[in-house]
Amino acid sequence: MHEKHKTWSALFAAKGATLSSYFLRRVAHRWDAQDLVQEAYLRLLRIEPADAANIRNPEAYLFTVAANLVKEHAVLQQQSPVSGDGLEDVLEQLSTPCNAEADMDRELRRQRLGTLIQRLSPKCRAVLVMHYRDDLSYRQIAEKLSISPNMVKKYIVKGLAACRQRMADYE
Amino acid sequence: MNKHANFEARRHARRISEQAVAWYLEQQDHPSDRQQQAFLAWLRTSPAHVAEYLAVAQMHGDLKVAASMDTLSVMELAHRVKHESPVVMFPQLGAGPHAKETGRAARARPFALRIAAAAAVLLLMVASGMYWRGAGTAFHQRYMADATVKALDLPDGSLVQLDQHSVIEVQFDRHLRRIAVVSGHALFDVGKDPQRPLLVTVGGHVLQDIGTVFDVRHDAGGDTLTVISGRVRVWNAPKAWLADMQDFVGVPATGNHAIADLGAGQQIKLDPATDATAVQPAVLARTTAWLPTEIRFQHETVGEVARRFNAYTTTPLVIEDTQIAKLRISGVFHADNPEAFLAYLSSLPGVRVMQGHDRVRVMAAAEPPAGPHAL
Repeated sequence: MHEKHKTWSALFAAKGATLSSYFLRRVAHRWDAQDLVQEAYLRLLRIEPADAANIRNPEAYLFTVAANLVKEHAVLQQQSPVSGDGLEDVLEQLSTPCNAEADMDRELRRQRLGTLIQRLSPKCRAVLVMHYRDDLSYRQIAEKLSISPNMVKKYIVKGLAACRQRMADYE
Repeated sequence: MNKHANFEARRHARRISEQAVAWYLEQQDHPSDRQQQAFLAWLRTSPAHVAEYLAVAQMHGDLKVAASMDTLSVMELAHRVKHESPVVMFPQLGAGPHAKETGRAARARPFALRIAAAAAVLLLMVASGMYWRGAGTAFHQRYMADATVKALDLPDGSLVQLDQHSVIEVQFDRHLRRIAVVSGHALFDVGKDPQRPLLVTVGGHVLQDIGTVFDVRHDAGGDTLTVISGRVRVWNAPKAWLADMQDFVGVPATGNHAIADLGAGQQIKLDPATDATAVQPAVLARTTAWLPTEIRFQHETVGEVARRFNAYTTTPLVIEDTQIAKLRISGVFHADNPEAFLAYLSSLPGVRVMQGHDRVRVMAAAEPPAGPHAL
C-alpha cells in the first residue's frame, strides 16, 4: 500500500490538475460527489498523527484517496472505469475521450467560466487572462499593470475565488 | 435576520474559496514541509474544505480554455485596468449639513453648468491669441474667464484658477515666467522650474514665488495677496513690468525693492498710493470663497487632484511616491474637506498618510505579506 501510494503521488505530482478533473468528471457521473468528499474527508481524519507528519504532499495524498474511492466504488458497482491497477491503464483512460455526456458537461462548464472571467473587475480579469491564456508570469503581469507581483497574486486569488463562488451558484 | 444569515453564509463560503485557491496556487510553488502540514491541517478542519479544494482543482483544469475565450489583447486589458476608477461619492465622510446643500445645488444645475463651461471654452479660444516663439520655451497668451471660474493648466506645470470676469496675461521665455493679473482675481499653484523664476505682477507690485500656492486680487480698492502655502516675496516695482525683468530679478534680496516676505496663511494689502503694507493673518475660507466648493475629478491622477486641494489649505498634500501620484481616480469631494480625500487615499492599498506640521505626506506603505498565511 505504501509503495502504491508513492507511485500515485508521483503520477499526481506530474499530472496535477488534469488528473483531478478527470476523476471529478467521472465521479460526477457515476457517484455522488458529496459522498466522495465525505468519505475522503473521513479518511483524512483517520490518519494517525505520526503518519500525518510523514505526508509530504497532502494534495497528492488527497487525490490518491479520491482515486481509490472511485475505484472502490466502481468495484461495488461491478463497473470498471479503471480496469487494472497499473498506471498505464489510468493514463490510457485519460487519453481516451470521455463519454459524450461528460464532454458536453465540460464544454458548458468552460463556457460559463469564460463568461464569468469576462465579468470580473478589470484587474481580476486582466491578471487571470494574462496568466492562464497568455502564460505570463506574475512578474511580467506586474510590469504590464504597474503593480507588484504580490498584488498580482492577490488579484488571481480574488478572481479565482469569485469564479468558484459563481460556478457554485450553477451547481 | 434571514437576510443577514444568508449574507454571513456567503461571506463564509467566499472565504473558504479564497483559502482553497490560495492553497492550490501554493502547491505549484514548492511549499515547505511546514506549509504542507498547515495545508493538511486545513483540509482536515472541515469536509467543506476538502470539497472546495477538489472543486478548485477541477475549475483550474478548465481555466486555460475558459480564459482563452477572452478576446481582449494584453494591451487592451492593461488599458482597462489603468482607466478603472474607484468612484468616491461625496459626502462620504461626515462632511456635515452643508454638504447636502451643495449636493442639491449641483443636482439642480448640471445642464446650465455645462452650457456655461462650453461657452467659456469657446470664449477662451476666441479671446486668446496664442503663439509660440522659438523652440517651444517661449509662450505668450492672454486668458479671460467669463461667467465661470476657469482652471488653467499652463505649459510649465503651473495651475491657475481664474475667477469670473478676470484676465491674466502669461508670458514665458527661456529666462523668466511672467504673469500679469490684468483684472480680477486669480489663484496660482506654481510649477517648479528653478531655471526660470516666476514673477506675478499686480498693480505696481511684483510677486516672486518660491514654490507656492497663492491668491491675488486686483481691484480698484487696492490689491490683495494671500499666501495659501509656501512663501512669496513682494517687490515694489512701479515700472518693473516694462523694465528689463532680468535685471530686476538680478537685484539681490537686500535691495530696497523688497517689501515683504509672506508665509502660509498670511495676507498683505498692496496699495499703490501709499506704502502701508501690513502683513496680517488671512481668513483662508474668505480668501478662497470664490473658488468652486467642490472638487470634481474624472480619471485624474492623485498628484493632480492633490494640487487642487492645495489651493484651499495651508498644510499642502505632498504625494511623495511617484507610483501613487500616477494613480488615476474619479470622485467628488468638498473642497474645504481635504481630510475626506486623505481618508479616501489611505483606504487605497499600499498608501500611507503622515500628518506633518506644515504638510501632509502621502507615501507608499510596506506591502503586507501574501500567501495562505495572510488569509
